Amino acid sequence: MILLRAIRLLWSAAPSAMVRGAFAGVLVMAMGAALLGLSGWFITATGAAGLMGVGIAFDVFRPSAGIRFLALGRAAGRYAERLWTHDATLRALARLRVVLMADFARKPMAELRRLRGSALLVRITADVDALDGVLLRLVLPLLAGLASHALAFALLWWLVAPQIAGAVALGYLLGGAVVFARLIRRSTALAAQAETQAQTLRRQMLGLIRGQRGAILQGTLPQRAAEITQTETTLRAAHDTLDRAERNAAMGLSAVVAVLVALVLWLADGLVQNGALSPAPAALGLFAALALAETLLPLRRGVAEIGRIQVAARRILGTPIQTVATPPAPHPTARGLVVRDLTVPHPARDTALIHGLSLDVAPGKTVALRSPSGSGKSTLLDALAGLHPATGDICLNGLQLNAWPEREMRAILTLVPQRTALIGGTIRDNLALATDDSDDDQAAWNALEAVALDDVIRTRGGLDARLGEGGAGLSGGESRRLALARAILRKPMILLLDEPTEGLDAPLARRVLHGIRTALPEAAILTASHREAETQMADQTIDLQSYI
Amino acid sequence: MKTTAPLPLDPASARQLRRASLTAALASALWPVQAGCLAMMIHAWVTGGNASAALLAAVFALTGLARAGLERWASGQAFAAADQTVHALRQTLLDREPRLLRADVSSAEIAALYGQKLPLLVPYLTRYKPAMMRVRVVPLLLIALVAWHNWAAALALLIAVPTIPLFMALVGMAAKDASAKQLVEIGDMNRLLVDHLAVMPDARLLGGLDRSRAVFAASAEALRDRTMAVLRVAFLSSTVLELFSAIGVALVAILVGFTLLGEVTIGTWGGSLSVYQGVFILLLAPDVFLPLRDLASAWHDKASAEAVLDELADLEARDTAAILGTGARVAALPGAGSVTIQDAATERGPLPDLVVPAGGSLALVGPSGAGKSTTIEAIAGLIPHSGHLRVAGAPLTDATADAWRARLALVPQRVHLPDMPLDRYLDPHGRGGVAEALRLAHAAHIVAALPDGLGTVLGETGAGVSGGEMRRLLLARAFLSGADVILADEPTADLDARTAAQITQALIAAKARGATVIVATHDATLAEAMDQTLEVKA
Repeated sequence: MILLRAIRLLWSAAPSAMVRGAFAGVLVMAMGAALLGLSGWFITATGAAGLMGVGIAFDVFRPSAGIRFLALGRAAGRYAERLWTHDATLRALARLRVVLMADFARKPMAELRRLRGSALLVRITADVDALDGVLLRLVLPLLAGLASHALAFALLWWLVAPQIAGAVALGYLLGGAVVFARLIRRSTALAAQAETQAQTLRRQMLGLIRGQRGAILQGTLPQRAAEITQTETTLRAAHDTLDRAERNAAMGLSAVVAVLVALVLWLADGLVQNGALSPAPAALGLFAALALAETLLPLRRGVAEIGRIQVAARRILGTPIQTVATPPAPHPTARGLVVRDLTVPHPARDTALIHGLSLDVAPGKTVALRSPSGSGKSTLLDALAGLHPATGDICLNGLQLNAWPEREMRAILTLVPQRTALIGGTIRDNLALATDDSDDDQAAWNALEAVALDDVIRTRGGLDARLGEGGAGLSGGESRRLALARAILRKPMILLLDEPTEGLDAPLARRVLHGIRTALPEAAILTASHREAETQMADQTIDLQSYI
Repeated sequence: MKTTAPLPLDPASARQLRRASLTAALASALWPVQAGCLAMMIHAWVTGGNASAALLAAVFALTGLARAGLERWASGQAFAAADQTVHALRQTLLDREPRLLRADVSSAEIAALYGQKLPLLVPYLTRYKPAMMRVRVVPLLLIALVAWHNWAAALALLIAVPTIPLFMALVGMAAKDASAKQLVEIGDMNRLLVDHLAVMPDARLLGGLDRSRAVFAASAEALRDRTMAVLRVAFLSSTVLELFSAIGVALVAILVGFTLLGEVTIGTWGGSLSVYQGVFILLLAPDVFLPLRDLASAWHDKASAEAVLDELADLEARDTAAILGTGARVAALPGAGSVTIQDAATERGPLPDLVVPAGGSLALVGPSGAGKSTTIEAIAGLIPHSGHLRVAGAPLTDATADAWRARLALVPQRVHLPDMPLDRYLDPHGRGGVAEALRLAHAAHIVAALPDGLGTVLGETGAGVSGGEMRRLLLARAFLSGADVILADEPTADLDARTAAQITQALIAAKARGATVIVATHDATLAEAMDQTLEVKA
């Protein structure tokens, strides 16, 4: 079951922290029950002793010390429990996200690029958030509750009476099971549906605000708003039903406690009346039964969310991880990029974008592709980088493209696409995507200098300067140049650049192109652009127009 | 210190919430009845007295069931009030935001506020508010009942709850800090993930997927470290609460025990303490602290709700002028499609004076930032203006803007394509004539090459068509709408010469069909194709 897989994954992130947290949880519950039970026993026993006039002989020291110990121990236990469970959860959160990233790493490039659409990212983070609750609200309380009951059962059997122990354990387990089973049945499908509705609502609102000009100009604003209100109405109805199921569960749990304690009271009375049980242990049983109610209540929220969690788990962990066998590393026989008779199909249509293209880029040479916008130069570069199917020959360093294992191919060929992204974090973190040797400051500065970004970074505070979310803090042109610097750090033998100087003015564009060539004197560079700065600096210009 | 925006509760919801809270408090106040049943039973066991176990068990169970019922009703009422409140706030946002063209707040922020953040008010209303009411009512009531039997035990409880408000403030301040911090940190982990997912295509090209994961793991680990350092302090405050509640119960238990033994004689109002009284007091003691614990655990809800309310107030306070009109579909404004601007200005600066007769055309040229786009937007009624701006002979106002836009089409620089099939997008009102419009806009071959033709859904970022293709589709849409006034903002920017020429031709074709055309452009060829050229100066 998918839920179990999610639990296993999260648990394995920090098993020892999990066990510690669960253990502390049991300790807290058990001590709570023991505190109330012992206190009840103490008062009943002292009451009996007082009545019989043997007050002086009664050993008050040990019970009262026990009560004090339990009181302090419970508070300390709670502190430890909260710390340990949160620590474990945070580790699990990180682990879950790393696994998610590893999963995504195996997805096709087109799918990865679509990820930049924020709606999908919002969904993924919402799903991850839902999974975050599994441990803290479901697994740990459930384990702690079951362990507490096992412990209580043994103690009640020993100290009170088997009947009482059995009634408490059975009553809580059965009662809890019935209430939670009902809650799961009522809420599972609905919680998933409500989540879908909530995401539709967010997407519709985002769409309306993003496209507000279009909607205003077309006069469709009221219609679109009405559609959103419609979704909200459905969502509210679903939440109302869900909340009712949760309320009923809460009432059911309270009813279980009330009836069970009443039952224990009645059972204990029978035992006391026929002399099988003395009053003090009977009181202990009664108080313990009351205190064990705490094992059920924390589970309510987690159980109500099971449906939502399952949907999230299915979406996040649903795709099985497959490993691809890597072919042996090839031995290059030549250098540079050679393309013969290449035909590239359109990514979304049933036509060919480019027919019969042949070109050579020798080491140290620069070739510029010139083409009208939308004519497929980005798709062509994707094909050359092995991201898009094509027929014909593409030879990297004398070997067919598809003979290269991914890792070795990326080591000699780097593509800088038209749209690039940065991460929040330091400049160093961003450059670390390109090189294993992220501590080599000299190489980093050289690369930044090549793209005329060194002064900018220096004034920002150097390589450890922090960028905001998505690299916020750099201008569009600066971000572009940082992406180029990343590519230089790869020291590729073949460098493919898609509109490398977009957003830069002509003098800066020339400086950056010159910098790249100086930094990589031996690289075969292929650029795609319609800018003059780029075609001017190339050794050869190919007009793609003739291959369309 | 920053004051939090008040909660916008309508009077009916406020009353409903108060009723719910009071009912929940009443349910808690029924506990002494149940405690009394248990105490009587134990008293009977110890003294060998007569008490009907069946009767006591029945009263205990029935009172418990009554409490459960009351609580269920109360939480239903609280939920209804919360749901109504969130709905009203959402409606306000939905009515207001689409008509404000905000430059400083991203659409994602508004959508997140509307979709994800406003629901955070629900737990605040359904958990925190009732807990607050219980804290006000229940502990004092229970302590008074304890005092009735034994003032020393009541005093012990009062000591353990030093002064409730002080206690709450203490817990509250620390808990708020902690939860606010924790919210931010966990949020950070998600932002980190979003960043790393967005950078994945780049990471793959750089052969750096493993490295990207390592960077993420290291950042997440640093984050965990920081968070735990905060939590270690923050959890102390709730531990204080636990400690006081445990010590309170322990103190009462020991005190009552010693009193029953006869070793302590103070606090019993002169008489002696019966077993019934002792057990009763002991059973009330934990419940004195229960409301406080509920409140502490709901503090998190309060902190997040306050953050949402602050954001809401902040959004409201950002003064952005609304569009003219409502954005609804109305009958087109009658009259010839002329545009006249004289001595007019927007809040961004003055508008150039211009006169474009019906069927005429104008190119706005000039440096970036001179106000060309602003002029186009003002003519479309997207930003308000002062001074004279007449369209089709009538002043452009809230009353005329919708009717004016009904005959107007605007081709913007950047386009957001909604998730809908192309034919519905091109022709939202079902007027027909799609093929002819596509031909005029040089867009027929673009559609022909799409996988599902006119049925293709062009996703969030318009996947499948390039920027130049998109603008031609928009021009086709402009023709389809039957618009006789076409505004275009930099329609040929960033395009190669051939595509730019096609767009220019499409605009000339529109002109030839009698449309009034106004473009903002840097493109000299396009500017020359217009009847007049107006240089806009910064």
